[in-house]
Amino acid sequence: MNDPDVIVIGAGADGPAAAWKLATDHGLDVLILEAGAWHGNKNWPQPHADAGGTVSTDPADLDGKLLDEQFTHREADANDPTWGYLRVGPADHSRAPWFRNLHQNAFIWQISAVGGTSLHYFANHPRAYPYAIDTQDHWPISYEELVPYYQLNEEMTSTQQAPMTGKEEVFIEGATNAGYPLIDTKNVTETGWRPQANAVEVPGRETSNGQPLDADYEGSFSYDDGFRGDTLVGDHFQGSSTPVDAPVRDKARKSSNVSYVPPALDTNNDPTMGNVAIRPNAYVTNIETTGGPGSIEASGVTFRDSWSGQTQTVEADTVVLAGGCIESPRLYLNSGLPDDGWVGKGLTTHWFDWVVGVYDDETVAEINPEGEHMDPYVGQNSAVRFDKPGVGGMEDIGMSPGLVSYADYLFSQAGYSFDTPVDPDEPWDTRGYVVGEELKRRMSDYRQTKALLILTDDLPRQDNGVSLDNTFSDEHGAVPKVKWSPHPDDDAKRDELCRIAARIHKEAGAEHVHRCDWPPLLLHMQSSMRMGKVLDSNAEAKNVDRLFVADHSALANGLGGPNPTNTGQALALRTADKIASLYF
Amino acid sequence: MTRRGVMKGIGGIAALSMSNATLADAQAALTDPLPSDPHTADTYRSIVDAIIPRTPELEAELGPEHVPGGLDAELEKFLIWDFNHFQEIRSEMVTENLDGSGVGMPRAMFEFTLDTGGLGSDLDALLDLADLSLLDLLDRGLDADALEDFLTFGALDSIDVSFADLDTEREGVAAFDLTVESDGEVYHQVLQNYPYAPVFTLAFDLVAAEFLATGKNHEPPAPNDKFPAGGTFTQLAPKDRLRCLWTIVDGGVLDALDDLLSPMIPDVGILKFVVMAVNGLHGFGYYTEWSGYGSTKTATPNDREMEVPAGEVQSRQQTDYPGPAPGYAANWRHAVPGGFKDPKAKNLNLPDDLAGDDVIDGLGGGN
Repeated sequence: MNDPDVIVIGAGADGPAAAWKLATDHGLDVLILEAGAWHGNKNWPQPHADAGGTVSTDPADLDGKLLDEQFTHREADANDPTWGYLRVGPADHSRAPWFRNLHQNAFIWQISAVGGTSLHYFANHPRAYPYAIDTQDHWPISYEELVPYYQLNEEMTSTQQAPMTGKEEVFIEGATNAGYPLIDTKNVTETGWRPQANAVEVPGRETSNGQPLDADYEGSFSYDDGFRGDTLVGDHFQGSSTPVDAPVRDKARKSSNVSYVPPALDTNNDPTMGNVAIRPNAYVTNIETTGGPGSIEASGVTFRDSWSGQTQTVEADTVVLAGGCIESPRLYLNSGLPDDGWVGKGLTTHWFDWVVGVYDDETVAEINPEGEHMDPYVGQNSAVRFDKPGVGGMEDIGMSPGLVSYADYLFSQAGYSFDTPVDPDEPWDTRGYVVGEELKRRMSDYRQTKALLILTDDLPRQDNGVSLDNTFSDEHGAVPKVKWSPHPDDDAKRDELCRIAARIHKEAGAEHVHRCDWPPLLLHMQSSMRMGKVLDSNAEAKNVDRLFVADHSALANGLGGPNPTNTGQALALRTADKIASLYF
Repeated sequence: MTRRGVMKGIGGIAALSMSNATLADAQAALTDPLPSDPHTADTYRSIVDAIIPRTPELEAELGPEHVPGGLDAELEKFLIWDFNHFQEIRSEMVTENLDGSGVGMPRAMFEFTLDTGGLGSDLDALLDLADLSLLDLLDRGLDADALEDFLTFGALDSIDVSFADLDTEREGVAAFDLTVESDGEVYHQVLQNYPYAPVFTLAFDLVAAEFLATGKNHEPPAPNDKFPAGGTFTQLAPKDRLRCLWTIVDGGVLDALDDLLSPMIPDVGILKFVVMAVNGLHGFGYYTEWSGYGSTKTATPNDREMEVPAGEVQSRQQTDYPGPAPGYAANWRHAVPGGFKDPKAKNLNLPDDLAGDDVIDGLGGGN
């Protein structure tokens, strides 16, 4: 594709959604340039060892069994930020990751690949709290305007209520005992608990032996044997290539490489639609523009092949930034485009925390008389949540032990628990890093341990964000320097949510509650190129015509706390419509 | 500098093309999982041992599988590998310009030689490298005498970090020569990234000396037979090692030590991130199946393979996790009969008070 109408920079959660809509509904030719690897595509059989092909346009290139080989489901293979197959870095795994300069006790968790950070997400697809769109004053558009796009996105991603398994039943017991009601709507305006809206198919939609998927099921989980839908494995952070043997588009969890990439490539086989081409291993280093100061417009991009180092310039009528909350502002700034003070600023990232409950066997057996266990690796990673609009939310989480040990006990801003006093008025028993004999003791209880992730609403603030680093540069220019710290209001909201979480654990019968007191975990990032400041209400850059942003950085705030994927994708679908109506 | 004496090991890429190594040396390097000098290895071993120790005392309570610790799985190799693969430096981005003016990263930012073999103390060596005097330390509020008393880099006699055959006219990954002399033996590696792993250990020793100089330790330091090549840091009691690391995050120690650290660490501020990492890597290493890669665990990622079934890895036996599976037979149900209510946009009828409960009213965990 040498003459695309639109270039989309980045094939993460949102870029493919925008590309699919541009080609399907508006007949436009779209070239997606992705900096990272492409897994499960026959043109790149060894994506981390060999340069492979150049570009893919044929849905027949997608290969689910190849994806199964590459996504091994093993934690160490997948999640290590330095060398895992789900990291931010060049596809070539003999090379180091792309460096970000971070002067904090904090962690940035993103992925460069087709599918982007949605490759390791729990597929939680709640909508924003309506208040965060309609009353926070940040948004130039209304909640109501987003709803049809939410509905379309939920259809494309098979979003539905998540299944309750052993660990969720324990959460529900605690939430119910604490007096919280069940919420039965997607448009959440009141406090309560509800099943997650998850972009995962129903468990065991079809099984290999025609029997329902429950504790008595003894059939196969292979697609080739007839299994369809979710297999109740909690390995979504490892890529979750299940059901095994399934074609890419029939994997149960709908990362964007599963939900949007296949139908985007299908447009090439439909003469009534535009075309979509995706080129991985292509790092965009410059946004090309025409025109002088005061009125410039995007005219194309220059990118660098991460294997060969060769650069190439491609022209297009419009350019869409979808590189994520760090790379989008970095590229904008490295391209020397006009900045009136908000590019990269106002980064929001949900002021997370993590409250851990350890349960004894009898307590769990009482709640789950049929299951008698609460294995954190069985069922979806996060299938039930609590919402408190105006404050934030929380999610019940189960994961495999490497992730659990990191998140539960080895990531804190409170120091080591052996030196960290606990206020007797607070509802947790311990706080801070847990190490030594105590760590081993706690991890020996792994199968009866689960955590609640706190998602605090934080607001865009100019001190927080992404700028160009003045110390280091890599082959793409100055590296990003990232900074985020909470406002005292955020701390107060987070404390409140932690207290509620501890109370839910105790109402369910937890024998020990631990508050990690996490430092910033930059995972749910939003709003570093936000609408209302850098972008107008069409998500077009105020200072560069024909340049749009279709990733989470375009979100105007942190959505009140709910996970951002559903809203980021919904907004990207809307932006595709705006691009078509404005320029084509 | 010229390459010295014995080659103990060669790691990383381009061992053949970028050094004077013989083919036999290079082949030996390929089978050496992680050549590192004793000071570096013992420093990380002392961290691993503080966070995941051997625990014979748990045997009676939990079983014999709970006795071995991180050192039994050689977790220090995980930390060293990760930090040495932390940041790639590109040749074309380096400038010979020493003062940092103009475009690019000054070469001097990535090269240094610390030689403790002179007549003075280890602190003198550091002052010499930083071009500072004892009086300069006073200006920074440091007790120079106490620092001098406490600071030792243990078995390390000298460390030299320099580019290997840097050609700034050519695009590509810059390789580094790392040469460490320790008790008369020379350890040499060619690495394709900045060799942060050994450099961070120097920072930990210096921070440990300041930790002791300011009396933040709870127990007296003592030479540690377990980590004989380590420096000040390894002489701290296990909990004091962790308290010491914490002063990097929460103690302002980097502000005081910035000038002493900056000749070795291109951007001292990342040490706060490093403290996050040295703790967190125990989760990414020990409690995953990493140690089950056996002899391939410090190979490049494409060459790592499971040699031990996931459920039989030491840490997996301690957590009773069987390892990944294609699916689970488990009971499940939907909590909202019939699914969520979701009217069309025009029928939404959202309430007037969208902000929900007041934040302050909620404090204390009420509904």
